Amino acid sequence: MWLVFLKELKELLRDKKTLFFMIALPLLIFPLIFGGVAFVTKQAIEKAETKVLKYAMVGAEYAPVIVDHLQQPDKFELVDIGAETDYATLIRNETIDFVLIIPNSYNSDVLSAGQSTIQLYLNDAGLNLVYKRVNEIVKEQSDRFQLEAFSTLGLEASQQQALLEPIVLEKVNTADDRENWGEKIGGMLPYLLFILCLQGAMFPATDIGAGEKERGTLETLLISPIDRNKIVFGKFFTIAFAGTMTALITVVSMAGWGLVLSQGMAVKFVADFMGQIGVLDFILIFLMLVPVVAIFAAVLLSISIYAKSFKEAQSYMGPLVIFVIIPVILALLPGVELKGGWAWVPLTNVALAMKELVKGTMDYFQLIAIFGSTVLIAGALIAFCVYWFKQEKVLFR
Amino acid sequence: MIEIKNLAKKFKIENPKKLSEQEKKDPRLVGRFFHSVLDVSFKCEKGQVLGLLGPNGAGKTTTLRMLSTALKPDSGSLAINGINVLTTPLLARQKIGFLSGSTGLYGRLTGRENIEYFGQLHGLSASKTAQRIEELADLLDLHSFLDRRCENFSTGMKQKTAIARAVVHEPEVVILDEPTTGLDIMATQTVLEFIRRLKAQGTPVIFSTHHLDEVDELCDKVVVIDKGRTMFDGETAAFRALADGSLHQAFMASISQSTAQV
Repeated sequence: MWLVFLKELKELLRDKKTLFFMIALPLLIFPLIFGGVAFVTKQAIEKAETKVLKYAMVGAEYAPVIVDHLQQPDKFELVDIGAETDYATLIRNETIDFVLIIPNSYNSDVLSAGQSTIQLYLNDAGLNLVYKRVNEIVKEQSDRFQLEAFSTLGLEASQQQALLEPIVLEKVNTADDRENWGEKIGGMLPYLLFILCLQGAMFPATDIGAGEKERGTLETLLISPIDRNKIVFGKFFTIAFAGTMTALITVVSMAGWGLVLSQGMAVKFVADFMGQIGVLDFILIFLMLVPVVAIFAAVLLSISIYAKSFKEAQSYMGPLVIFVIIPVILALLPGVELKGGWAWVPLTNVALAMKELVKGTMDYFQLIAIFGSTVLIAGALIAFCVYWFKQEKVLFR
Repeated sequence: MIEIKNLAKKFKIENPKKLSEQEKKDPRLVGRFFHSVLDVSFKCEKGQVLGLLGPNGAGKTTTLRMLSTALKPDSGSLAINGINVLTTPLLARQKIGFLSGSTGLYGRLTGRENIEYFGQLHGLSASKTAQRIEELADLLDLHSFLDRRCENFSTGMKQKTAIARAVVHEPEVVILDEPTTGLDIMATQTVLEFIRRLKAQGTPVIFSTHHLDEVDELCDKVVVIDKGRTMFDGETAAFRALADGSLHQAFMASISQSTAQV
């Protein structure tokens, strides 16, 4: 069996595609893509924040203070649009970025004039920050009018506060930081790990099953004096190894690059959060992954050995991603907890257990049932794979 | 000695709609089953080279696959030097050197690694494997490409490496499925010379071919299979005598017998 495993591994590690998907992609390409997207996003935000916005104003005479605030040549540029009222066209043509319409009822004495509505015409599709930048100016005025009104009414600071927010609902969270962040991060962790394991195992599975059939090497292997069970297990362990390694390399790479690229606060947060998760929990998360990878490897090998060609195998394996995503998404839904029937749903139970482990709220006795049931399913699938590998109708389709 | 008696094998047709008109007319198609081999029997004695002839689809490859243990027959018996292939397939595999028609090699391994792997699968020690590789490299002229990856080999290089891989464990019988198909003249000569050496060593060789000149040059015995049945089984001289010395005519005469039977 190990002879087959080592030979498959040697071939696998000599394949550029495998090296790319298993090592280069998680170590370099993913961080480059994520880093690139973060860089471009940051540049776009900076550009939107510093861009000189061209604007027109109707009713400027009613709000001289707002006019004053807009007179910042490095931020805003007033454009004369004459009597034109088709603001949408002007904005679409990029003649202006926004139009501010001040009503004639606009008055700083809100007690007598009531609420004023200022209209802001803009194209709010995409990242432009126009609303945010104009609102900063308008909000400042709104706050000032509010304070003036309170002062006119002779209200004390505490009364002003009570008037602004008569009832405050104070949240006293009994969950600690680990539980809070564990709920968010722990839900995504199995999603990431499952998909990576599956993707990492897919190419080797295709290569050493259908690929071997297509190249004509399978028949020669089948007539060598080695038990077919050993051939199956040699191939099975290669696929499982590739899947696990891809997931591990990706997670370690993302964590490493995250620490390198993030700023001081983020590092502290990551360090604090990781510090709360014990070594035992990490080991248990990894152990939970083992039968899951075994399930993937058995299913992928069965599909691959059935397919006549590399292409056929890939077309059968594509939809598998959906079958993996659905149980993980179920684990993310509100109200789905590691209780009752959910503890027996394959993959969903492992995803839930991983979340609980990250949160630190795991009932460790339940792990035995989850691990046991997943191992049972994996074992049944491996047995099927062995049976499948002995069928002439499968091997010589 | 290789002994095959009344071998039969049928396959279930997964999708009858995909069969061609010619396949639908084949008398071996019964219901959802295609009887690829109906009744094949022959013997190959020690030191004999047996040429297995037959048109495409006659059942030659299925017969050889059953002999190599890749497929299980539905009925009949197979024996190699007295060993029952059906009841002790693992033991039989140690005795057989089989070269399939596809000549598949592991492209990302070197020629040496390909042969080594199969040597190890046959239980040879590392030193014995290395010694055998050197012997076979001399015999089949492999030295110039033995340590290169197989993915860029020419057809001739692939075939020579595949033959070396098939016989690395010094099998007691050798089965070759169309070993010279697609080879140039030089590579063909190397393969034929290798078969001659096996014969000289007393190793029985069965090889299927469409080249009657190869049969004329090498074979002691001829077996013709058509429509899943043995149509001729005898010495090459007797085969030639079927049509006044012309192998081509003799082959056509054998085939016409099967057509007449149908």
